[in-house]
Amino acid sequence: MGGLGGLLSRAAAEEMRKSDKQVLFLWLDGGISQLESWDPKPNTTFGGPFRSIPTSVPGIHFSELMPKLAKQMNRMCVVRSLCTKDNAHSSGVERIQRGDPKTRGVPYPYFGSAVAKLLGPGESKLPPYVWIKPGNGGFRPEDGGFLGPKFGSLAFGDGKPPENLLRNPALTAEEDDERNELRARLNERYAAHRAPEYTEANSYVFDTARELMKRADIFDTSKLPEREVQRYGSHDLGRHLLIARNMLEAGVRFVKVTSYGWDTHGDNFNAHASMMPKLDQSFSAILEDLAASGQLDRTLVIAMSEFGRTPRVNGHAGRDHWPEAWSLAMAGCGIRKGVVVGDTNEQGTWVKSDGYDIGSLFHTWYSALGIDSVATEYDNHGQPLPIAHEDMKPIKEALA
Amino acid sequence: MNPLKPLHVAATDRQMVCARFSPDGAVLAGGAIDGTVRRWKVEEKKLEPMPPLNGHHGWVTAVAFHPKEPWMFTADSWGQFRAQTFAEDEPKTQWKLEAAHDGWLRQIAITADGQHLATCGRDQAVRVWTPDGKSVAEHLHSEDVFAITFSPDGQQVVFGDQHGHLHAWDFTANKITKSFEAPVLFKTDRIQDIAGLRVLAFFDGGKLLLAAGTTPDKGATIQSTPTLLAFDFASGELKHKFTHGAVKDGFIEDLAVHPDGYVMAVTSGDPGNGKLLLIRLGEADAFDSATQLPNCQAIALHPDGRRFAIASTNRDSNGNGRRTDKEGAYPANTSPVNLFELPAKG
Repeated sequence: MGGLGGLLSRAAAEEMRKSDKQVLFLWLDGGISQLESWDPKPNTTFGGPFRSIPTSVPGIHFSELMPKLAKQMNRMCVVRSLCTKDNAHSSGVERIQRGDPKTRGVPYPYFGSAVAKLLGPGESKLPPYVWIKPGNGGFRPEDGGFLGPKFGSLAFGDGKPPENLLRNPALTAEEDDERNELRARLNERYAAHRAPEYTEANSYVFDTARELMKRADIFDTSKLPEREVQRYGSHDLGRHLLIARNMLEAGVRFVKVTSYGWDTHGDNFNAHASMMPKLDQSFSAILEDLAASGQLDRTLVIAMSEFGRTPRVNGHAGRDHWPEAWSLAMAGCGIRKGVVVGDTNEQGTWVKSDGYDIGSLFHTWYSALGIDSVATEYDNHGQPLPIAHEDMKPIKEALA
Repeated sequence: MNPLKPLHVAATDRQMVCARFSPDGAVLAGGAIDGTVRRWKVEEKKLEPMPPLNGHHGWVTAVAFHPKEPWMFTADSWGQFRAQTFAEDEPKTQWKLEAAHDGWLRQIAITADGQHLATCGRDQAVRVWTPDGKSVAEHLHSEDVFAITFSPDGQQVVFGDQHGHLHAWDFTANKITKSFEAPVLFKTDRIQDIAGLRVLAFFDGGKLLLAAGTTPDKGATIQSTPTLLAFDFASGELKHKFTHGAVKDGFIEDLAVHPDGYVMAVTSGDPGNGKLLLIRLGEADAFDSATQLPNCQAIALHPDGRRFAIASTNRDSNGNGRRTDKEGAYPANTSPVNLFELPAKG
């Protein structure tokens, strides 16, 4: 399934790979509260202690905890009518990031893996699906699902480059090339007797990592003006989104940034009072920068979690898991600017308009990236598989 | 005290975050998360509900009474601070400051003589007021201010911030006179700055400054241990540190200093966990406790020193996903208000 294989239409696959579209996928792990962010319900039973503030789009309000993002609303589309099904982290994360197509006995790829497959690494030849996260890094082949390990995510723990990223200074460039030629020949011999999806994955990851070696500057924020670094913030999320910006500028196709700690079952309001300003600062900074450079026009930006949080405040002043009526934010290529899609009721308990499940979002995202989510199909060893849930459709109001 | 059973439990239809008795002991008032002030007439062994008071926004976060005049002061999470009478079914508003703070006004303190009030909030401000709502002094701090109290002589405001820094401010001279460090009441976990401080109070005639809250362990689904610190106010030395239970026990949310020389503290932790702890400073364990009080948010000691009220939370207050009542409605949690009586001495 390497190369352009794995898709039913080879011509369409070749066309898609000419795309210059990129993705920034901000994952707020654990579940950001929609009521303390995109869909405030101030002065209601479940509205919490915070006020709402106007945004740059008349009539649309955010929580007071996001004043900088409120100024970015004219660039964004907020969907307030997500109604998904899974209220557990373990299954919810998988379901949301794999798009929850109908069960066919094979694990679907994460969105990042799917984009890496459909659009490829692009001209940069850098790893097409990278993941910037707190903690450890490494390669996560399981993201690729049935597409195979080649399309897994390459994770940079704490946004740092892999150890030994640069060529050992004791080696000359010529010596390094000779070593790689030898490696390639040994790989061919090794691959002749093994399943191709695994050996291809090894070679592919190594080759893209070699390209990364040429771009160690991506990880180096020390040469940036201090003011620019401070715009993003010195916290993990700020540092990681700044590196994400560098990666997008360098041409990485899909950059996922994860922020942990949003599962606020206890002390939800003080927790959001502490964390939201950091999200507000860093997410608005990258939106501003992508817009200023013109890159936002070709970059799909998504900020979301696996679910929202309960309207009801539990006894520990926390909010629990709530897939019934929650929100996400998008911006960039193919996305309509300055709109809110969908509505929740006055108390924020249920969706008033059409509720959208994750399958609709996958269709929407593919459409925004210029991928025909109905006509395009995977070829899983002869088994045609849709790239998004075939019973769902894109959210038209969210598309430009 | 075991088993401690309430004399009466007054039901509410919303969660309460604060409660205090009027100085004459005739009224119990508390703030709810629906922007209302709830009141009860206090009978010997019963709380009789009075009409709720509207006019606040967000959460009613603090309530305080003037020691001599029939005035009740209340504050909310949108920054409103107001004074009104409290004994009538339809009280009269004395004054109202819609934006006394920019957003979440966390606490109110009042001097023993009623000459001054102090407020603090998420806007990092500490402000002193006269009882008729005139601003007297202001200190702009550099952090979210979580708790506040007056020194017994009424000359200094002591406030504490989210990082566990405590300061005594002579508001007349506009000078920080002392600082105390309580780093155990703070932790950064991932990108969450966890503030452990919840309440400040003086003890033993002002010799000791109490700082209560929690020792944070983990953020998000917060895990933390109830903690009470006692500082020698003159020297700043930490004289006593009391912790209780496990990380599921959470915060000391509120406390009252009993005139017999002990501290009455209430805790709220993981849903379902809440306790009343009677603490003698210097002793490792509470000398008495009550554990059948889910998620206590506030304790108020009656002026008679015999009765007290605790606002707790209904059982089964948590749960992921869709949970509806028999009628299919999505129910709010509530705060039972428990009226207790301390056992007779001896």
